Amino acid sequence: MTRVVVFALALTAVYPASAQTRNLAPPERIEVSGGAGWIGGASVGAVDAELRAATVSQSPFRLFSTDSRFGGAATFHVTAGFALTRRFAVEGGVTVSHPELRASISEDVESAPPITIAERIDQYSIDANLVVMIRELAIGQQTVPFVSAGAGYLRQLHAGQTVVEHGHVFHAGGGIKHWLLIRRQGLIRGAGVRADAHLYLMSGGIAFEDHPRPHGAVSGSVFLAF
Amino acid sequence: MRLLLCIVLGVASLSQNAHAYLQFTTAVGGETRVLKWQRTPIRWFAADRAGGGVSAAEFQGAMARAFATWEAVPTASVTFQFAGATGAQPFDDDGISVLGFQAHPEMDRVLGATGFLVDTVTGEIVESDIFFNSTFPWSTAAQGDPNRFDLESVALHEIGHFIGLGHSGIGETEMRPDGGRQVLGSAAVMFPIALGRGITHDRVLEPDDIAGVSDTYPAAGFRSSTGVAAGRVSRNGRGIIGAHVVTFNPATGALIAGFTLNNDGEFQIAGLQPGAHVIRVEPLDDADVESFFSRPSAVDLGFLVTFYDRLYVAPNGGVGDRVTVAVRPR
Repeated sequence: MTRVVVFALALTAVYPASAQTRNLAPPERIEVSGGAGWIGGASVGAVDAELRAATVSQSPFRLFSTDSRFGGAATFHVTAGFALTRRFAVEGGVTVSHPELRASISEDVESAPPITIAERIDQYSIDANLVVMIRELAIGQQTVPFVSAGAGYLRQLHAGQTVVEHGHVFHAGGGIKHWLLIRRQGLIRGAGVRADAHLYLMSGGIAFEDHPRPHGAVSGSVFLAF
Repeated sequence: MRLLLCIVLGVASLSQNAHAYLQFTTAVGGETRVLKWQRTPIRWFAADRAGGGVSAAEFQGAMARAFATWEAVPTASVTFQFAGATGAQPFDDDGISVLGFQAHPEMDRVLGATGFLVDTVTGEIVESDIFFNSTFPWSTAAQGDPNRFDLESVALHEIGHFIGLGHSGIGETEMRPDGGRQVLGSAAVMFPIALGRGITHDRVLEPDDIAGVSDTYPAAGFRSSTGVAAGRVSRNGRGIIGAHVVTFNPATGALIAGFTLNNDGEFQIAGLQPGAHVIRVEPLDDADVESFFSRPSAVDLGFLVTFYDRLYVAPNGGVGDRVTVAVRPR
């Protein structure tokens, strides 16, 4: 999974800092950011290779069992945001990762030893988010927590990039933004760093069971406000 | 030049074990040709005689339903036409394809069998007959009869042969005290052993059967929307013949299989849905090898069940990366 980086549109504050902190996020401010992170693994599903039973009443005959999951992976993302108000912003972005899809095989009917097999997946997500700045919990004049939630498109490519799987991604979480630079004038009005923690739900894509798959993710970013 | 190849491939009432679809082939001038009908619809006649507790009309109805099941496979393009009832008998060399009951008490483990007349130059099937052994009790009841064999299920299997499919190995059996084998489960109508009296599961084609008929009679789009797994199976670096290669798609639960068919141990399995698959290789160690291969002595049974050590990705059309599965000696 993809995670879309949520970059809050924090807005630059102005001078004098102490007096202007509450105005840190003026509307109609554009922000871009990029960074890296980590997305946790998640189960893709446990599925048995089954034969039809030879009688009406018996349950299917298991040939072997599989239990598949995505491993954790580094993520890289770029995001652009737009402040609607001082409290609300919208963002859109792309996140890329290369998790490993692993299938653990066991309980073979002919006693083949258990084995874990894998392939590398190229994973992309494109999503949009709503960010809410929690200004009431601001720490000092330059640090503001936020919450965000969003949804998007999930694209996964198997090894060799010849087979594409499509799905959806939903996420919710929050983080904190810290401004390192705030300017009243100039092209770049501000810059800072940001940390996010999100819970992602992936549906579709590479999935061996129908229910959405939860992934935890954390990331760090650098942002510029214009 | 035409030769009669009377290939008696039936469904046994008692068992063996294996996995996969297999096409009948013939060698023509050094080339391997798949046996298939080249003109459709394929016309078939029903012998006008009752047998095994089933009337001629019930027999004809069961045959029609079984033909319709094969014809309904959306990824295949084979069609059939009922040409009428006939007084002719199966296995007469009469130029027409006849299905009917015959009493063969000496074949006490054979429910039915299929034979062909083929053009050995082109590989075209020009006639095919099926007999159902009226020595056994048969049923056409909608829910099956616990004391009788389901005629439609066995007909579906025999019609698979009728159109050129060999036996599938996707099934598991266990030894019985009398030395025969009992089916524990199967995932192909073309598995050589019937499930048992009263069982009607084999009225429905499985992914392995569908892949087999689609590979032999591909409908438009079949080749471009499904992938082919290809590779070889080796033991101590040398290819082996007759290894049973099973693909499993965890996303769909489909089991589709094939065999290594040459001295290099090469296999090809078509009809896979694009995506990740598990590949499992096993010997036909407790199967009736003769029901799969004409040269059973060439089949290597001396290795252990082995999984390919990567997930295999079937492409969206075409042949995927070739893999090599190295098996260990038993």
